[in-house]
Amino acid sequence: MLKKIMTVFIIGMMVCTYGGYLFAGGSIESSSDQISLVYQNPWDPAIGPDGVAHEEKYAEYEDLTGIHVEHNVMTYDQLKQTLVVSGQAKEGPDVFNMLGEWIPDMVAMGLVEDITDEVKAWEDYDKFPQSTWDVATVDGRIYGIPSTASTRVLLYREDLLNATGFEVPKTWDDLREVAKALTQDTNGDGNPDIYGFAFCSSTKATRGPQEFAVFLNSVDKAEFVVQKDGKWVPGFTPDQAEKVFQLYYDLMFVDKCVPPYSIGWEYDEMDPNFASGSIAMCMNGSWIQQRMGAGVNPESWKTADFPYYNTPATFMEVKVEGVGAYSDHKKEALDFLMWLYNRDNIVAISQAGNLPSRSDSVESPLWRPDPVWKDQFISVAKYGFTIPSIPMIDIFESCMSYLQEVLYQRMTPREAAEGFHASVIEYLDTEVNV
Amino acid sequence: MKKNNYTQYLYFLPVFILIVFIFIYPLCYSIMLSFFDWDLTKPDQHRFIGFQNFIDLFHDPLFLPCIWHGLVFTAFSVVFEYLVGLTIALALNSRFAVLRNVNKALLMLPWAVPIAINSMIWKFLLSPNYGYLNQIFEVLGFNGALTKNWFGDMSTVLPTIIVVNIWRSFPFYTIVLTAALMAIPKEMYEAAEVDGASFFQKFRAVTMPGIASSSAVIVIFHIIWTFSNFDVIYLLTAGGPLNASEVLPTLMYREAFTHFNMGYSSSIGLFLFIVLFIAVGPLYTKFVLKER
Repeated sequence: MLKKIMTVFIIGMMVCTYGGYLFAGGSIESSSDQISLVYQNPWDPAIGPDGVAHEEKYAEYEDLTGIHVEHNVMTYDQLKQTLVVSGQAKEGPDVFNMLGEWIPDMVAMGLVEDITDEVKAWEDYDKFPQSTWDVATVDGRIYGIPSTASTRVLLYREDLLNATGFEVPKTWDDLREVAKALTQDTNGDGNPDIYGFAFCSSTKATRGPQEFAVFLNSVDKAEFVVQKDGKWVPGFTPDQAEKVFQLYYDLMFVDKCVPPYSIGWEYDEMDPNFASGSIAMCMNGSWIQQRMGAGVNPESWKTADFPYYNTPATFMEVKVEGVGAYSDHKKEALDFLMWLYNRDNIVAISQAGNLPSRSDSVESPLWRPDPVWKDQFISVAKYGFTIPSIPMIDIFESCMSYLQEVLYQRMTPREAAEGFHASVIEYLDTEVNV
Repeated sequence: MKKNNYTQYLYFLPVFILIVFIFIYPLCYSIMLSFFDWDLTKPDQHRFIGFQNFIDLFHDPLFLPCIWHGLVFTAFSVVFEYLVGLTIALALNSRFAVLRNVNKALLMLPWAVPIAINSMIWKFLLSPNYGYLNQIFEVLGFNGALTKNWFGDMSTVLPTIIVVNIWRSFPFYTIVLTAALMAIPKEMYEAAEVDGASFFQKFRAVTMPGIASSSAVIVIFHIIWTFSNFDVIYLLTAGGPLNASEVLPTLMYREAFTHFNMGYSSSIGLFLFIVLFIAVGPLYTKFVLKER
């Protein structure tokens, strides 16, 4: 008898669970007919005001259209992984944020929708600089709306710099001299407490390669890769790369103005160290202002053009909002993006972090001029470069591996430069130009 | 009688379905992928390539370092986890132990805390510039000699990860061994004492045989878990610096989720499975299944 009761109970539970699942899944859409868009991005309301502004805008959009926007906040690592894994199950968010360098991979995997025709017919299309559309373009087709375009500048502590009597560095030689002067042992224990400069060198390859690219670009405008006669080839020579590796080496071992323990730093180590006062200068973006609240002497945080070798350079990081290829509401998703990235909304959601990509942002009544956190970043955009639209992760990893070989003194800058150059050729020949 | 037979299959059915969906299917799919060139960024170029992924794996410059790091990580972790766990279990089981239950509960903390939090705590403790350990060394006057970038120095990264792993895992040994020690009849110790046995003689003749089977089971399981461990290493160093702490599971993860090379990644997983099956399978059969 007990067995029979248990059997009926188990079957009953299974039926109820499955029935409940079906009922719940079906009732949301059918009972209210409300469309819900899932938007995956890293704008966290718990970290900065831009995240809060995002959620306010989603609520405003729901009031306007009745379409609910579900905000899924995740880091870039999680975001990319979620997109790839869910894509394998033919699932995915309706809208998502992408780093520019991901787009070729996302397109190749069929995870992002081609929106070329719709955006070209959009009245605001011309309000975005062509260079930002280029980042969202693969093989002539557009796969997203460029939401932010942030440049890199020299971030420095003005109070510490004034104490040394030096001017803001303009060239690499100035950078080395000033960084050396800024490196100080304030408590007399024999080790510096404040280092003049720091850089990222993590093989996780997020910010490190971007910084390296800026150094490289300031040597004769060299780039990681360029297209020549329809083929991708290295955009630099071993001599040019050697100059960059040599600079890293000199800063670390000759001038000793970079923390010896910083090898392998990623942005999540670099930014807090600047904020806590152990670094006096670094290359950074406008998002660093979100750390001012808990930072040391935030009023003395200033920005300037980044020092160069023989030509000014900066990396223009364009982030792009795509429509998911597996979205059930692609039209609504694109309509939402076009609304969210209109002139006033884009300014409202980009006040304290990345800069809005639209060139008419400054005409918005919501635009608040700021010489340190906006004007400086915009002024260097004229010599900004972007990452080309081919999968770059292997080149980035290789670049950071060779940099670490130099920093661990297992290779000379020359050997690293030649090795890196050869690895780029091999990658392009075996993976890209085939 | 027949009816009863059907009923027992019905009880088994939900579990069987679960096992098929969450274990058998992914395993078979992964085995299949390991024989394919299956790059997610080239969905139209998936093709059968036989054993090429395995040939590539054996020629991968990271293959031997990964095996070596895995062996060192597993050997040192399991040996010291066992020794620390046993020592504390003996202390907790001795007649001089005070607040036995409170101590047992406290000892479980490193094991009970999620590994992500454990890793954050250790990264903070061992941070080169503001970590407590380096600050203590500095106060003690070892500045420069012992203050290190523990996870960033190629010579210290693997030993440091092993220490973190031991700290995280030894409570499990302690709990299992404490239970095994409590199951040894007191009369055996009393009889040994009557015979004039010393502490070490009692340990060798009574304690060790009493906990031998429990020890074999937890050691075998930990060899499997440690050699295939991903979370501790990935969260602390992601295999760096310069692959100095790279093991097969972190390599497998990077191939799958950074390079999207699912075929190659699956071949690493299958290789790991076969190695563990061959190396630990006989031990598992001998000690675990026989014990059951």
